[in-house]
Amino acid sequence: MSKASRPVSCGAVVVFAALAALPLAPFMSKYYLLLAFDALIFGAIAMSLDLLMGYTGLVSFGHAAFYGLGAYAAAVLLERGVLSLWACLGFALVVVGVYAWIVAYFATGRRGIYFALLTLIFAEVVYTFFRYTQTFGGSDGIQGLPEAVLLPGVPIDTPAKKYYLVLGYLAVAFVVCRVLVRSHFGKVLVAIRENEDRARFLGYDVQRYKMGVCMISALLTGIGGALYAIRAAYATPDLMLWTESGEFIISVMIGGLGTLVGPIIGGAFFTILRDKVSSYVDWYFIVIGLVLIGIVLFMPRGIVGLRSIMRIRS
Amino acid sequence: MTASHPVLEVVAISRSFGALAALTQVSFAVPEGAVFSVIGPNGAGKSTLFNVISGLHAPTAGHVRFRGQDLTGLPPELISRRGIAKTFQITNVFPEISAFENVRVAAQSRASVSGRLPSLWRLPDVDRTVMQLLGAFGLEARRDELAQNLSHGDQRYLEICLALATDPVLLLLDEPTAGMTPGETKAATTLIQRIARERGLTLLLIEHDMSVVMGISDRIAVLHFGQKIAEGTPEEIRNDPAVIEAYLGGADD
Repeated sequence: MSKASRPVSCGAVVVFAALAALPLAPFMSKYYLLLAFDALIFGAIAMSLDLLMGYTGLVSFGHAAFYGLGAYAAAVLLERGVLSLWACLGFALVVVGVYAWIVAYFATGRRGIYFALLTLIFAEVVYTFFRYTQTFGGSDGIQGLPEAVLLPGVPIDTPAKKYYLVLGYLAVAFVVCRVLVRSHFGKVLVAIRENEDRARFLGYDVQRYKMGVCMISALLTGIGGALYAIRAAYATPDLMLWTESGEFIISVMIGGLGTLVGPIIGGAFFTILRDKVSSYVDWYFIVIGLVLIGIVLFMPRGIVGLRSIMRIRS
Repeated sequence: MTASHPVLEVVAISRSFGALAALTQVSFAVPEGAVFSVIGPNGAGKSTLFNVISGLHAPTAGHVRFRGQDLTGLPPELISRRGIAKTFQITNVFPEISAFENVRVAAQSRASVSGRLPSLWRLPDVDRTVMQLLGAFGLEARRDELAQNLSHGDQRYLEICLALATDPVLLLLDEPTAGMTPGETKAATTLIQRIARERGLTLLLIEHDMSVVMGISDRIAVLHFGQKIAEGTPEEIRNDPAVIEAYLGGADD
């Protein structure tokens, strides 16, 4: 018990405090606040995906569907005048939960590439459904959503409020993930990653564990999607495109597998890099691609892996 | 359960893979607290027998009973929960976590929190159990080494630690001394025997090397081409003409 009782280090608290003070900085325009929002939400989702990739050894190519479904769930409510943030999040949890249960049920029975492909195929089906269903706006999605309210009469209407919303989400998701990976459950996930068959012979029903972690990762991602719809005032099928899933995976890789903090940094790094490069050149994906290839080749343990390398050299 | 009740009964087990009959009508019973060995040349069906008992393969025919309960066809995780642990012929541990974490994940499977909702946020304290086991096999000093960096012999011991950490009634050992030098084999055999006695374990041992089992077994069954050709005390087996024929006449060992 003692080791699990303090899941958040002093360093993490300092970083969160610094992030909380960020909107007070003079250079933080509306534009930068929204970029910071996108960076943190991408980081939080990459962290959720790390539960699967880094800890359990399962690669999901379908996280965009959890993200997009969360966004659509919130958008459908906002469009109909249900403005409560909590209703939007609750509905997103239900919708994503049902879908994730179905995907997890079928995908966790398979291993390796089959798991990855099943998550991808399910996500493509969901994408296609929203892309061609006029009730949900087809390829335009649901646009022009009203502002959500935190409590009746307290609208989430400024970039700073939205930023604090996503920071709160990141903090909660971080604590959830940290507690989880240090728990009994988290230790079994690592055992499954290391040697699934051996874990079965120790008495673990590995599919149950895999389904559990898929659900938790999907639900955290779905909340992120709902918050994105609230910030952007739209939900479009592009949020569910497989390239989006690919970007989540890349963020985990460049941050560092199995570290939680790494993927947050990776997701934020990726978002900011994309934003900066695309404001200068149209062919920004070539530049980003080269940077990412460099990171994967020369920093196989990701950005946070650098820390241990420097420690050895010094 | 009475003392006279065998811990494990294998009743007329057959298992075929396509046209190949790996096991044909094999039966035996292992009494409580005994050291029972199954020997036979390579390819005799020993590992298949273990895979059937531990739930990896369902038998084509026959039954496995453990303390009077039918286990036939249960998956490995449920058989493990009933109290049967297995070690593997080819070392099968968790390579990229420490020796300590290896044994911890095995030991925590029997903590009361395991499989219940609070296991999502609680970590049961099994440190004492883990250190006792590592200590029994001389691995305390290497507790923080990654399993893959341990020497071959230490990995074999870690393998046994994992099985013992699940607190079994019956331990299936599949060639526990595979790849060890004769000196290591002797030390390992003595150690296993001592620990089994201390814990009141029943042992079912697979070996292809007769010399290993002769000294420690209460009873031995001999498999040859998937059939049981003899069963008895080590002395009886040593003098059994069918066994001598199987080992010396044309077998690949």
